[in-house]
Amino acid sequence: MNSSDHHPAGSPFPAPATDTCAITSGGSIIRIDHISKVFAERNRTVTAVDDVTFDVRRGEIFGLLGPNGAGKSTLIRILTTLLAPTSGTACVNTYDVVRDPEKIRGIIGVCPQNSTLDVELTAYDNLEFYGKLVNVDDSILPARIQELLEMTGLSDRALMPVATFSGGMRRKLEIVRAFIHHPLILFLDEPTIGLDPESRREVWQQITRLNDEKTTIILTTHYMDEAERLCNRIAFVDKGKLISLDTMDNLKRLIPTGDIIEIGSDKDTGPLAELIAALPGITSAEQKKQKLIITAKNGSRVIPAIFSVFERSGIPVTSISVRSPSLEDVFIYLTGRKLDEGNNEAAQQNGHGRVR
Amino acid sequence: MIRGAVAIFRRDFKKFISNPFVIVFTLVMPIMYLVVFGNAMGGTITHIPIGVVQETPPYNDTALFKNGVEELRHYSAKKDDPRLFDVTVYTSEEKAKRALENAQISGVVVFPAEVSTDNAIRLYVDSSDYMTPTLIQAGVLGSLQAIHATSSVLVNKIYGDITYIQFFGVGVIVMAIFMTTMMGGGIALIKDREMGIHEGYLVTPVKRTSIILGMIMSGTVRAFLSGFIIFMVGVLITGVMIQSAEDFFLAIVVILIASVGVTSLMVSIASRFNNQQEYASTTAFFNLILFMTSGAFYPTIGMPDWLRWITVINPEWYSVHALRSIILRGQGLSVIMPDLTALLVFSILAITLGIMTYRRTLE
Repeated sequence: MNSSDHHPAGSPFPAPATDTCAITSGGSIIRIDHISKVFAERNRTVTAVDDVTFDVRRGEIFGLLGPNGAGKSTLIRILTTLLAPTSGTACVNTYDVVRDPEKIRGIIGVCPQNSTLDVELTAYDNLEFYGKLVNVDDSILPARIQELLEMTGLSDRALMPVATFSGGMRRKLEIVRAFIHHPLILFLDEPTIGLDPESRREVWQQITRLNDEKTTIILTTHYMDEAERLCNRIAFVDKGKLISLDTMDNLKRLIPTGDIIEIGSDKDTGPLAELIAALPGITSAEQKKQKLIITAKNGSRVIPAIFSVFERSGIPVTSISVRSPSLEDVFIYLTGRKLDEGNNEAAQQNGHGRVR
Repeated sequence: MIRGAVAIFRRDFKKFISNPFVIVFTLVMPIMYLVVFGNAMGGTITHIPIGVVQETPPYNDTALFKNGVEELRHYSAKKDDPRLFDVTVYTSEEKAKRALENAQISGVVVFPAEVSTDNAIRLYVDSSDYMTPTLIQAGVLGSLQAIHATSSVLVNKIYGDITYIQFFGVGVIVMAIFMTTMMGGGIALIKDREMGIHEGYLVTPVKRTSIILGMIMSGTVRAFLSGFIIFMVGVLITGVMIQSAEDFFLAIVVILIASVGVTSLMVSIASRFNNQQEYASTTAFFNLILFMTSGAFYPTIGMPDWLRWITVINPEWYSVHALRSIILRGQGLSVIMPDLTALLVFSILAITLGIMTYRRTLE
């Protein structure tokens, strides 16, 4: 909690605790240091965030990935000054989340998980209202609103109530609304939850465009493809703990087994598993349902050898696929669980701390 | 068919049981109605402040005056009732009438001088109050009968004949303000909170004070408009005469300040509630207590003491009193000044409470 252990030992003038965040440490825009958040319920306590420490670099798209109830939203709420941490410090730019919440609110844009658009107002009114709340100058506000509406392709619907918009349109509007004052950091909590594939792609394009304008973006998601597609670096969170944080490629390298080859066959391939596992370059081979799952350091190289085994045994191959491990595989490897399985107890705590 | 009906019944009932706050309120409300409404409406009016004065000159008190005052002091309508009047003796008719005009007393009994030719007793009553004039008149006549006085009594209603609809009409203005604010404004506020619009405010640099003031401002305008419309409609329906432009202006000022007060109270209450049901129950309770003790229906003088104490902190009482002073009695700023001050103090306290208790962070 104390910052002094961050400074080089023996520094003659250790910075006082109040200045923890004033020291900019190179490329980091957010620094989280041993943050915990404990919710007290009637007769038990729930640790939503458990001693998490990491940095977010300036200008990156940072993904917080984990199942429902992993603590992603709680972490976002702490960083956006909606919740105070139980212990630990968090700095956003040069401000402490507990000490300078007002300053932080001026430099961030937030798009919460649950929509906060006023559906009775028009798209234009929603943007105008929010622009005034975040102190966008009146002289540039109308032009800025037009710009954002064009960016989202909603110009022709500017004067229609948001209630008439589709889910994707609302989400895009809400994302650009959070961006109206050119915030340094944009927080997107589950930006594409509940959207159809077409809308998701549009939202993704939107996010990439905003990132091109030098905004740091932090997004939470429990969709693997979303994180794979958008994020520079990904933090895996599970049960309130940070499990792993790295770039996509490095995370995939965590899996020691390499590529995954799936071979389908109408007949029993069980006897072949042992033969194939013995081939050079193959890590493992086992039969699951009608498929033979083989892992190998370099998938495409070992395929001819595998085929010759099949040919010799006379079992026909009906399908074959080679793929590199997905984030999902990484997550399963790290936690032993599938990402969307979640865990019921944790999922219940997800609703915690909402404005009530 | 039955299966579906039972499923729906069970679901509704589970929700009902899971909200003890609303259950308690639904049970407490009828009891509150009984206690508050019953006491506010059915109370016996006693201790009516009246003034007595002896016509001058000459300056010596007549026997009729002495006996009359003595009897008035002890008179009660029924044998075991508390006495009807609180009698103040004035030294001059002029002073007594001024006190009556300023509503310090509800009536003045002027006894004839020794030299009077017709020996008539004059009675002046504040007719803007609905119940008391009749009671005063009956009490005075009864007292005179008890001392076997033969003088005739001339009754003078100083504000003319005021019907109940006119008396009540003033209260309806305040009711309009309360309804618009509590039912309309408060529910909308809680709906916004439920929809997460407030969570949207919280992550912007907008200040807590700004949020509260903004909500109070919009609520006040709405409340004022409805109060003003009911005021105008009321004037047409009940046929009261607004005597001067100054009175009209003063009435508008009172409606405005009352709107600020009631809206501030609503905002500070509504910002602590999570759901509409709980808020609606609380509002119904406030509506009962504040409106019943406002004197809009029935003069507060008829209420038991414990209930009358509520009027001291009831902004609606001050509003009704101020509006009645202006609209029915044509009184000016000097009379309603205490009411305005009380309303302003109340508003400031409510605004401060609202700002202090509004949660800037979650949890």
